[in-house]
Amino acid sequence: MKKLVSVLLAAIMIFSLAACAKGGGTETTSAAPAQTEAAKTENTEAAETTVSADAPAWEKDTSPIDMEWFVGASWYGYTWGDSLSTKHITEKTGVNINIVTPTGDVSEELNLMMISGTLPDLISLGSWETCYNTLYEQGYTYALNELADQYDPYFWKVVDGSVVAWHTKSDGNLYCVPNDAYGAEQMAETGMTAAVQTFLVRKDLYEDMGSPDMSTPEGFLNTLRTLKNEYATYKGVDITPFYAQGGSGYGLTSYLQNFLAVPYEEDGKIYDRISNPDYIEWLKTFRQAYQEGLIGIDYLVDSDDQVTEKSNNGAYFCMLREWSGMQEANAILASSENPDSYYIAIDGPANSNGDAPLIFPGSLDGWMSTFISKDCKDPARAIAFLTYMLSEEGQKDIFLGVEGETYEVVDGKPQLTDEMIELMNSDPNTFATQYGLVDTYWMLRNSVIVDQWRPASPYYITAMSDWADKNAFVNGGIYNNLEPTGDSDEAIAATRINQRWQEVVPELITAASDEEFDKILSDFLAARDSYGYEKVVSYEQNLLDARKALFQ
Amino acid sequence: MNQQKAEKKMSNSSRFQRGIKDLWKQRELQAMVWPGLIWMAVFSYVPLVFLYIAFTDYRISTPLFENNFVGLKHFAAFLSDDRFWRSVYNTLGMSALRITLGFCIPIFFALMLNEIKNAKFKRLVQTLSYMPHFISWAIFGGILLTWLSQSGIINQLMMTLGLQDKPILYNGDPKKFWWIAFLSDTLKEMGWSAIIYLAAISGIDPGLYEAAELDGAGRWSKMWNITIQCIRPTIALLFILAVSGCLTSNFDQIFFLSNSANMARSETIDLYIYNMGIVSGRFSFSTAVLFFRSIIAYGLLRLCNFTSVKLTGESII
Repeated sequence: MKKLVSVLLAAIMIFSLAACAKGGGTETTSAAPAQTEAAKTENTEAAETTVSADAPAWEKDTSPIDMEWFVGASWYGYTWGDSLSTKHITEKTGVNINIVTPTGDVSEELNLMMISGTLPDLISLGSWETCYNTLYEQGYTYALNELADQYDPYFWKVVDGSVVAWHTKSDGNLYCVPNDAYGAEQMAETGMTAAVQTFLVRKDLYEDMGSPDMSTPEGFLNTLRTLKNEYATYKGVDITPFYAQGGSGYGLTSYLQNFLAVPYEEDGKIYDRISNPDYIEWLKTFRQAYQEGLIGIDYLVDSDDQVTEKSNNGAYFCMLREWSGMQEANAILASSENPDSYYIAIDGPANSNGDAPLIFPGSLDGWMSTFISKDCKDPARAIAFLTYMLSEEGQKDIFLGVEGETYEVVDGKPQLTDEMIELMNSDPNTFATQYGLVDTYWMLRNSVIVDQWRPASPYYITAMSDWADKNAFVNGGIYNNLEPTGDSDEAIAATRINQRWQEVVPELITAASDEEFDKILSDFLAARDSYGYEKVVSYEQNLLDARKALFQ
Repeated sequence: MNQQKAEKKMSNSSRFQRGIKDLWKQRELQAMVWPGLIWMAVFSYVPLVFLYIAFTDYRISTPLFENNFVGLKHFAAFLSDDRFWRSVYNTLGMSALRITLGFCIPIFFALMLNEIKNAKFKRLVQTLSYMPHFISWAIFGGILLTWLSQSGIINQLMMTLGLQDKPILYNGDPKKFWWIAFLSDTLKEMGWSAIIYLAAISGIDPGLYEAAELDGAGRWSKMWNITIQCIRPTIALLFILAVSGCLTSNFDQIFFLSNSANMARSETIDLYIYNMGIVSGRFSFSTAVLFFRSIIAYGLLRLCNFTSVKLTGESII
């Protein structure tokens, strides 16, 4: 029976690929003439209907239209049209959105949509997804610059020049606009960053232990020893000593390397961060801790639900974890019967020189990027809607809502009403579903604009976020996402190396001795070379050089 | 001559008419067969054409036959990947458990159920045992992960029974994975797999048992000499199918239970195809692996059938 089902599934998959192969093919061939035709009519149309750069195009056509918006995050749970902000925007622009989210892997789902020719109108996804490149390289999305020139030149007024430069591809086209794009200068000026990487400890427990230093291997191990001997259960909770976000592929790799200030490049050459002595020493520290039974590897095994449950109960002692994911847990803990059980950021693992960490600050890459697909029924309306959402007006509508209702202007500065702030802090879920303000719809959030309206965070959030802002390595954005993605040779090599590394990290930590550790590591380094590490490095080097050239 | 030809022609057309008539007579039966045939053609035969993907550098935006032909490049790529061989090893390891122990358990269970004289109790046990089959692995796997966690029910049970002195992270240990996969699959599917044997058992002529009783046969003797002998064709059939499926694994199950800590023993061929092919969008590569696996599976099926014919005279093909 199972066999039958799996054969069936495989068959369906192959068939859908196949069916789509045809669809996809005709699409690209037909898309090309359509485009040139559009270009031809451009001039005549421009003369007739006034496409002007002075006024946004959305104002001219507010007739009702439905659009589908794919949000590449399976955990995203909000809909369009039920909340105050989205209702307001639909009334204003006529655009009604149906938000669709993937049920599983983002690339898997989008690949199927591409081949079956059923891509949604708007697509937001992270640049780390493997199908990110496919979307524009194989002609599934419009070049936004062409759409903007043709239908809504106002677009150029609402996008930042450095963001456009960063995201323009080698063919000279701009295919997507990012959210949360942070430029280095802007971060240095405002002190506001997108830094989220923190080392968190449970406040009351940590202070009961006498706030020990955990930035050196000895300090770290001794603190965990004290924890094991004296605080295995604390205020009725079985304490789990340690958590690393994203398991072996993130928390114990680039995240930890950032804390240890492992450089990205040395003398202009891409640096092999895994071979860094400080990093290896810390991995050995974790190995030691595991051998002594001070930490487990539960963070590699637990499901998301289990992690959330432990966090919300304050069961973790220390965590290499982005503070942004702990906002809800901290709100719960701060209002629990142990109000001091929330998590605070302290100085985490540091290198032997005690250098300041290189916390990733956010970059011009942003978080997710939004595309307009070729399957979009009305690209003119789509680009107009995108322009509106990116404009200050759109940002205000989605972040602050309706003046007089959800926000008011005090001393010329718009701010959320006290009731809204109260609701946001006490019941974030109701706030998001009923009003949908602030960060509910982050797909096109421009942090430069909205951060000026952002209400002050409560103490249990700043206890984490201040540390990250202070320690952000504001020039680090240039190193973000250097890794090749897609199905090129370099990308395949990079994927193989990464997947192998994710398996090697648990082996390293659970190794019986330092000698075994060294052997596993050197085996990995040899395997890495055989997978084509050189190709990956030269790809990254070229990309880094190109980025540097862009900013000179 | 001409007359002969004409006669032949007539007989041809009349045969055709008769054929139509026959078809019409069996229309109810035909109505049941055709959806299955069409389904099979669409989902099993048409896709065969697209195995061509395995021999090209397939890009999803290009029509199938316009892609670059690259020969056996992708086959060479996975055959030289140590990770592929590891996944073969894991698949075979888990299949070995499934084909030996896992194959006997439902038979044993069916035989035991058959011996229960209280009909109500028998039905209750049967229903309860096949219920888990209807829970999807997404849910069953989630429950299982909670059971297997350090504070989960299994650790508590083992510690209460004094079988271990501290919690073990069961799912983080590669060495335990095959057993976790095997036992959880048995727990979920045992009752369901037993149904087919129960059906076969219920088809046995009661006269055989009565005759045996007259000859003084006991319970064990009846079970061995009658029940098992009568369901032997069913057992042979399912065994052949099980062996031919030994290169497949239950993807859902493995997908939900695997993690980076146990990957060394949890990555089966299916998961390998998923991790290396689908996630990275390497369609040609994954098709090549799939194709290769199908060829081997077909070979196994023939081999097993051949053995079965030689040994027992039961053939299914």
